[in-house]
Amino acid sequence: MIYAQLAVNGLVQGLVVGLGALALTLVFGIARFPNAATGDTMTFGAYAALTVHKASGSLVLGSIAAVGGAAVLALVAYLAVFKRLAGRSVVSLLVASIGIGFMIRAGLGIAFGHQQQVFNVPLSRPIRIAGLAINPLDLQLAVVAAVALAAVFAILYLTPIGRQMRAVADNRDLARVSGIRPERVMTAMWLIAGGVCAIGGMMLGIKTVVAPEVGWDMLLPIFAATILGGIGSPVGAVVAGLVLGVAQEVSTPFVGFTYKIALSFVVLLAVLLVRPRGLFGRIEGVR
Amino acid sequence: MDAYLAAITIIALIYMLLSLGLTLQYGLTGLINFGHVGFFAIGAYTSALLSLQGVPLALSIPAAAVTAGLAAWPIGLISLRLRDDYFAIVTLGFSETVRLVITSEKWLTNGVQGIPGIPRLFESISVGIGAQLAVMGVLLVVTLAAIYAMRRIVASPFGRVIEAIRDNEEALQALGKDPARFKIQVLILGSALAGIAGAFYAHYITYIVPDQFIPLVTFYVWMAIIIGGVGRVSGAVVGTGLLMLFLEGSRFLRDIVPGVSEVEMASLRIGVVGLLLVLFTIYRPQGLMGDFTKR
Repeated sequence: MIYAQLAVNGLVQGLVVGLGALALTLVFGIARFPNAATGDTMTFGAYAALTVHKASGSLVLGSIAAVGGAAVLALVAYLAVFKRLAGRSVVSLLVASIGIGFMIRAGLGIAFGHQQQVFNVPLSRPIRIAGLAINPLDLQLAVVAAVALAAVFAILYLTPIGRQMRAVADNRDLARVSGIRPERVMTAMWLIAGGVCAIGGMMLGIKTVVAPEVGWDMLLPIFAATILGGIGSPVGAVVAGLVLGVAQEVSTPFVGFTYKIALSFVVLLAVLLVRPRGLFGRIEGVR
Repeated sequence: MDAYLAAITIIALIYMLLSLGLTLQYGLTGLINFGHVGFFAIGAYTSALLSLQGVPLALSIPAAAVTAGLAAWPIGLISLRLRDDYFAIVTLGFSETVRLVITSEKWLTNGVQGIPGIPRLFESISVGIGAQLAVMGVLLVVTLAAIYAMRRIVASPFGRVIEAIRDNEEALQALGKDPARFKIQVLILGSALAGIAGAFYAHYITYIVPDQFIPLVTFYVWMAIIIGGVGRVSGAVVGTGLLMLFLEGSRFLRDIVPGVSEVEMASLRIGVVGLLLVLFTIYRPQGLMGDFTKR
């Protein structure tokens, strides 16, 4: 029973990891580099939501502000930096993304200070379903995440721009010769990735605390989920995020609070060495 | 003032050792090691713990190099099977895992409280800053030896092979060389240097906690070699000098500009590191000392 309860608790954490991994996998699949600024973009989303929530008292307004702000931030980072580095080695892009992450974190640290802040959400009594205690807040967060995921998957699989994005992810040159404009695809992709990060960051902030380094600390689980899910696979990223979130919580009684984070590293290594294409990834020649 | 100058020279030399290790791994061989601070931490804790057990520093510091080098061995084996960017992520994860281990294993490392009272080098010299100067002298000798060794490596057949691994691994394999052995050797060597740096750090600061070994340290070193010029021994030297100027300068800036708190300064420092990483990647990928004929 205790494990079932832990698994339920892990689901929300898993959604946070899954959202981050979704953003990372979109960038990895389409722009072809691991974006280390993903975590800090989440932090940005958390602060944007927190600020608007404090001012207006509405989480809905908060999430809209977070999505909008982080989407613009991601697009600016693309236009100002990543676009100029197109055609350079993966290392250049990776190092630049770390630089951008640092700049975001520095900006947030200067603007909001280093004290941990919390969302003032009303406490509520857990609902009991089949003997499991479920926090209504968790349920709300799960709904928010589900809506965000539904929106992203609808864009990816039901709209022309989504189809173009998947085409570019599949084969960039083929996409280009069939008349897909990379510029538009990239713009859409960065906006979506930023928005997804913001939702994840906001959920993380509501569940735990908001501080300048919370997003960066999520980077390892996010990378692990992205690779476990298979790079470039949006479904895989979300599923792997959930698996990892649940696994972290369920493992806590055995390994303790600190080492549950190391679980991501173990998963990351195991997947890379045993099955580098992950659960849902396509077979790639290189790894 | 003399004590202060001696202090920053010592810290600069420690960073110099770290930069040289990374220059060997990334600059020359092209291995993206984002976990440098992990090996630095292993060296620091190894030497600190051994010396507190009564092991003389003349043995504990080499032991730090050995443990850090040994820790790099499995990482090297992994590197053989992974693409560059995956290897970068794995090493970053490695250094974070090292930090988790030293935070959690209280019986060994005293957790977040850290290890106080680590013996100093040359504790017996108590005249003025004599001990500090002696530490500086030893570090200088170690660093110069490392620089000399690096320059020899660059000029040697070994150096040509590792540079070829960086430039075109397939071509190298086609010529019948096996990159695997070289990669592992380079990782072990570079990490052993980081371990030595860690040992000197521990015995100089005399107090280590897990928080001193955050990934930011790794990226300070990356910033140093990117600014100085990747793949150049002179680049590592110049870059580290500029890094120290930046780290210490920002401390002075706080004294001059009133109203900037220590945490704000810390944020500002991270921001400047980020900005420099971005600007140099875009505009000066070859760094200040780099080869301007190539891009």
